[in-house]
Amino acid sequence: MAERTTPIRVLIAKPGLDGHDRGAKVLARGLRDEGFEVIYTGLRRTVDAIVAAAIEEDVDVVGCSILSGAHATLLPKLVANLRASGASDVLVVAGGIIPEADRPELEQAGISGIFGPGTTIAEVATFLRANARRR
Amino acid sequence: MPVDAKHLAARRELAQGISAVERPGPAANQRIQEALAASAADARNALVVGLTGAPGAGKSSLAAALADVARAGGRRVAILAIDPSSHESGGALLGDRVRIDEHPDDDGRFTRSIATRGSGRSLAHVAAAATILVEAAGFDLIFVETVGAGQAEISIARLADVLLVVEGPEGGDEVQAMKAGILEVADIVAVNKSDRPGAQAAFDRLRSGLALGAGAPPLALVSATAGAGISELLATIDDLGAGRGVRGRIRRVEAHLVAAAESHVDAQVREATASGALTTRAEQIVVGAQPLTGSITALFGISETPDA
Repeated sequence: MAERTTPIRVLIAKPGLDGHDRGAKVLARGLRDEGFEVIYTGLRRTVDAIVAAAIEEDVDVVGCSILSGAHATLLPKLVANLRASGASDVLVVAGGIIPEADRPELEQAGISGIFGPGTTIAEVATFLRANARRR
Repeated sequence: MPVDAKHLAARRELAQGISAVERPGPAANQRIQEALAASAADARNALVVGLTGAPGAGKSSLAAALADVARAGGRRVAILAIDPSSHESGGALLGDRVRIDEHPDDDGRFTRSIATRGSGRSLAHVAAAATILVEAAGFDLIFVETVGAGQAEISIARLADVLLVVEGPEGGDEVQAMKAGILEVADIVAVNKSDRPGAQAAFDRLRSGLALGAGAPPLALVSATAGAGISELLATIDDLGAGRGVRGRIRRVEAHLVAAAESHVDAQVREATASGALTTRAEQIVVGAQPLTGSITALFGISETPDA
């Protein structure tokens, strides 16, 4: 496979209503240091706003941080809307508090990676490098 | 209501075009050429407004506030927000969208974050090319927000039809206002955060400093977050940009050509630094084994013809 000539672009989004973005910011900063171009959108974005931002920024990855427990509704909707907008090659990953029992359903819905507490930045970076689209 | 997929298609095409021109080469130039032809055919005449100023002065918020007023007036508005890439990792943290409200259903708006990548400057090499594409996509008003390196920011002056320098309430004293640099090329200066203490004093200091020279740019006192003075500022910007005609597009192509040249040199300098060739050459000059004469390209061993 061809070597990438440009950095992988990642949108870090905070869908839903919880106001805790420390994890998202730590990840954004960490991925920057790993050589990614990270677009941070801020708190409480709607799924539609995240999809539009992902399209406008032409990102390779959307990473969602959710601590509110709303992952089961928000994440599948996000994947579906991205696909409907023609961005089906965008990798969607999630982090935050997501119970083990909910994971199979999310994976089924197209969430490619789920990172719980304790995941290192290096682990996330390695996963994204291996799984983001090539171009 | 879900975002209409068809509705996002135009924005997606533009977004992918910008990514394409971020990879320099013949394909990028082809795309730029096509965009210029499309703009000429449609008689486009976008106004490109550059925003620069120190970090924290409120460039993003002000661009967003101006965009809101312009959009409310029916204009199609784009924001290109440029942030620095890390010299160490090559990565970047692009955070300007935090200060820009999302309007997912509105095709009359477009926001793109751009990293400076190989450019060691405060404008990305791709900035000019991106504005050319955005104009061809039918946006009338394009805000280009720089990294905000302060005084040594001249490439945005080349690209923008109107250059807006943004100052915070703490910014600038009379002597700073007299210094050469960005204020010399400013078409208009806005002191932002007028709702904060000190803004009026900063405005007065700047006014008296600038008044010492001839041809001082107009000054505005505004608050992006409170919405104060924004309509008036936009009106002044429009006045300053009026009558640019086809000159605007010529200016953007000039800026693109300069960026292409700078990109070539930057890449060569990076390569010579990384390979040690630069140090070797300097050592030879120090011991007299190599004369410090001849063209700079010969000294660097730079190939004379940039890739088209």
